Amino acid sequence: MQETIKPPVEERYKEELEALRGTDTGRVPENWKMSPKAVRTFILGSPKPIEYNGKEYKIEKKYFGNDALVERCIVTLAGNRGLMLVGEPGTAKTMLSELLSAAISGVSTNTIQGTAGTTEDMIKYSWNYALLLAKGPSREALVPSPLYVGMERGILTRFEEITRTPAEIQDSLISVLSDKVLNVPELGDDGFLFARHGFNVIGTANTRDKGVNEMSSALKRRFNFETVMPVREASMEKQIILNEVAKLADENNIKMEADEDVAELLASTYHELREGVSSMGHRIDKPVSVMSTAEAVSVYYQTMLTRYYYGDSRMSVDCLVQNLVGAVSKENKEDLEKVKGYFNTVIKDKSAKEGGLWKEYYEARKWLK
Amino acid sequence: MERVLRSKEMAEIRLLPVRHHSPACAFHVRDVIEKWQPDAVLIEGPDNANSLIPIMTDKETHAPFAIYYAYHDKTGIISEDKQHYKCYYPFLEYSPELEALRTAGENGISSAFIDLSYGEILAASAQGRGLLKDDAKNSYNDDYLLTRNEYLKQLCEKTGLRSFDEFWEKFFEINGLYEDSETWFSHLLTYCALARENTPDEELAQEGCLAREQHMASGIIQWADKHKCGDGKEQRILVVTGGFHTPALAKLLSEENNAKAGAKAKRVKKSDIDKNQSVYMMPYSMEAADALNGYASGMPFAGFYLKIWNGIKNQAAISKPYEAAVLDMLVAVGKEVRKSEDCLSTYDEICALQMARGLSELRNKREAGAYELFDAVLASYVKGEYNIATDMPVRTLGRLMTGSGSGKLCDGADVPPIITDFNMQCKSFGLKCDTALENELTLSIFSGKKHRQISMFLHRMVFLDTEFARRVKGPNLQLKKDKNLLREVWKYKWSINVHSALIDVSVHGGTVEEASASLVGERLKKANGAGDAAYLLTQVFEMGLSQQLDAVYDRVHELILQDTDFYSITDALRSLMMLDELGGLYETGLEFGALLHTAVRKFISLLPSMACIQDDTLTECMDALKLLYQITRRKASDMGQEREDYFDALDKMCRAQNINAGLNGCIYGILYGSGRASSETVENICRGYLTGTREQLMQTAVFFRGLFCTAKDLVFIGDSIVGLLDEFFGAVGSGEFMELLPQLRLAFTYFTPAEIDKIAGSAARLHGKEKKDITELSEVLPEWYEYGRQLDEYAKAQMLG
Repeated sequence: MQETIKPPVEERYKEELEALRGTDTGRVPENWKMSPKAVRTFILGSPKPIEYNGKEYKIEKKYFGNDALVERCIVTLAGNRGLMLVGEPGTAKTMLSELLSAAISGVSTNTIQGTAGTTEDMIKYSWNYALLLAKGPSREALVPSPLYVGMERGILTRFEEITRTPAEIQDSLISVLSDKVLNVPELGDDGFLFARHGFNVIGTANTRDKGVNEMSSALKRRFNFETVMPVREASMEKQIILNEVAKLADENNIKMEADEDVAELLASTYHELREGVSSMGHRIDKPVSVMSTAEAVSVYYQTMLTRYYYGDSRMSVDCLVQNLVGAVSKENKEDLEKVKGYFNTVIKDKSAKEGGLWKEYYEARKWLK
Repeated sequence: MERVLRSKEMAEIRLLPVRHHSPACAFHVRDVIEKWQPDAVLIEGPDNANSLIPIMTDKETHAPFAIYYAYHDKTGIISEDKQHYKCYYPFLEYSPELEALRTAGENGISSAFIDLSYGEILAASAQGRGLLKDDAKNSYNDDYLLTRNEYLKQLCEKTGLRSFDEFWEKFFEINGLYEDSETWFSHLLTYCALARENTPDEELAQEGCLAREQHMASGIIQWADKHKCGDGKEQRILVVTGGFHTPALAKLLSEENNAKAGAKAKRVKKSDIDKNQSVYMMPYSMEAADALNGYASGMPFAGFYLKIWNGIKNQAAISKPYEAAVLDMLVAVGKEVRKSEDCLSTYDEICALQMARGLSELRNKREAGAYELFDAVLASYVKGEYNIATDMPVRTLGRLMTGSGSGKLCDGADVPPIITDFNMQCKSFGLKCDTALENELTLSIFSGKKHRQISMFLHRMVFLDTEFARRVKGPNLQLKKDKNLLREVWKYKWSINVHSALIDVSVHGGTVEEASASLVGERLKKANGAGDAAYLLTQVFEMGLSQQLDAVYDRVHELILQDTDFYSITDALRSLMMLDELGGLYETGLEFGALLHTAVRKFISLLPSMACIQDDTLTECMDALKLLYQITRRKASDMGQEREDYFDALDKMCRAQNINAGLNGCIYGILYGSGRASSETVENICRGYLTGTREQLMQTAVFFRGLFCTAKDLVFIGDSIVGLLDEFFGAVGSGEFMELLPQLRLAFTYFTPAEIDKIAGSAARLHGKEKKDITELSEVLPEWYEYGRQLDEYAKAQMLG
């Protein structure tokens, strides 16, 4: 069992990354750990397993939904501009940025977490005041920020939730991104940090709370924007739920198999509520709260945990519906009514048509309160 | 490489698979013809279009154009309905078939189409399949056969490509340009054979494919027989067909008996079909030729691929045509984006080009193509979240990739009789058709006979959707507007599209009048209700199609009797009323009295069921009630009984439980206006709402709206209604008032500003004030104003100091 709850991507896929690096034949940009083609294979998977050091590695697809978007991201990062991933919460923006950083730079932890309280020195650099007083301004006394580290080492810097930081603080990135130089005036002539090859910034911003509209156009021009959309197909969503839950269970030593049929119920529920129309054509009132795939994963995983510790290690539809209630009644009470309406129309018809698990699911509507 | 077959006819037959609209394919087709120098080039295409080949290959003819096939099923071979059928075979500059015809022409090689004629294809297809699909724009092009099989789906998944079009572009267009022709065609043949294998035979039979292939195979053999070289030299025949048919043709030709049998297997007599079909060429537009516009006619991005074609034709060596086109497009989109308010820098364009190049490398494409171009614009030009507010660059790109402009036909191209008729009529009416400028025309339609004839002609052109003319002013029978006008003002403009549109409707008749009449017949069959049919009647009126009037009149009558939709009947009534009033002016000699009677009776019979409507249909319903009131009053002499029945129905409605409050108000307004209810009765009803339960009280606003709609003068008789309004406002709280405000505003729209002033005056008097107290504000004295200004300045100075 791992010691940490969630090891960084480069740890989790250490062997895969090594195998890809070892077998990489493409042209590698300066300071990148592998070629753009290998990065693509790492994220989008390869149909054939690769052989390395006498062992076969099956590279699984890690990001679902839009292959072209991933390709654009890779090309952007090899160029002169930063990459900004925007989209609804729970559309795997952060996951994608971690995968990209781990593959390209070998590190996904060089990260700034944007909040309303983020200040300019958290983005650029600050000082170890004891050393500063003792020795005066020197590189030794300087505490580098992730951005500083990225420039110095030629690796990617991730800026999570960039739009949560005040606009004027975001703007401190402008000159760094365009001139690729950071000036530390306190260090005098030695104060210029020129970014090494391989440095770039991946920002993520969610459009639900505070979108990118308030971002200055000067900063916008330094980024290529990629809008990450929710997954379009229910079958793909089911696959994501199964993959992610298996990963979580493995990391936390939960010895319980994921149930495909239950994942299908949940995936189609989330999918239909988000799209506002069922697979049978019913029009559905869309809930206000976020119906993301990530939410579905968490509902499934929660159910799994409950059944593992308090049940018989088998998924139960009742328990699933109970967890669903908690997930949808975040924003307001009306959402729960909408889910009830969904059960009373769509699930009712499906249970009549398909029977089996759908029937159980329909009967579990009693927990919706 | 393409199949090579030797047959007993001493002919060497080569089958060349193509995809309609493909620059690379056109390029390789020319190469094969020039190198192999066949004796004949046979092309997939209905053989009744053979006479058009000289026009197609004329130097003065420019693509895009289409061959237009029309068939009138007079003998009911296809279906009992005996309908008109039409379809198009669009050609772009880079259509391989056109390139084959042109190359053959330049090299003195004879060429011909070898498919079944259009009518025969229709006869061989199952209802609703192939060219019998219920689609306004059926295309002869059947490339879709290559794109919808299971094999392709797996291929795309495996190669990580998004669609057949991207797959095609990568392997056949971009990478394929650098291959030699033999390799290129052998790759295509492999793909086509696999696509064919994965399509069930049953489907092919329903689409008419099998019958067509039989015919083509026997056509090839017949051609070889007929043109045998006397000197024992082997004849060379090149057959250019859609790739989907090539494997089947090869099979049929190798089993020679099969191919010959095909000729006998026809179900219908060719002569029956031939006399009812016609074929013409028409200029086509780039927009219509783009597959993305819903005309499944080949590749998308017609404009983009035209650029590629211009880059590769007539060039000794291929040198990065895609790179050049992508750069061109990026710059063009940049220019367009800069024209709008969005800013876009040259650096954005540089980044976009880098993105396109990077992607092509990542995707193993030799050059960046349409999909990399799209991705580059999306990544580098769109700033912020991708949504309707920021997608302008992508939309612009889409437009530019589709291209614009139309083709042109050389002089001497055969035109259908409808165009000759159009030209003649324009000449006789003195309409200018030799300029592309817009002309204006004023017609006194009711005084001059010639003017009325011109108006009829123009109305027919409008009805045929030709975009030749539009009416700027004049009585509008459809919108029931401006019926007092005696003159019509028209603007008209000739363009090549008018000809295309006329060819498009030529299947319906040989003259503008005939085509309009025939289309009226078709629309009449499709008319959904009395409203639709009466609308059509107004159009027939304007077009002066006197022959059709009776048929449409009867159909309207029939539909009124069948229709149970209240609003449809109302629409019909409105149109009929209009026609009844103007019938004399248009001199049609038609009497509408009986029709009006039927419609009114139907209306009255439906009326009681309308009592409990929702608020959203209130306006429509109130207008309908008013309309009938006006009709029965205007025609009082012969509608006495109907008038009585109408008031009875209103009475019945008022007694209905849960009657809509607005409708209730409206009905009482009418009853008051006709002297059947006193003002006291109306006040009592109103007071009923006012003193009712909370919910009913809230309905009072809607009641007033209905009442003011039909009897606003009640307000000015005494002060009682104003008093009731006042009472009402007193009874509702401020929150509720805000809720009611929209309804109240609607209620007061029936008054003129002067009337509202008057009402305000009465309201003021109820509270012991005069009108001027509330409508006039007292003057601000200059001294006061000066004092205020000084105070401001003083405060500012204090704050700054």
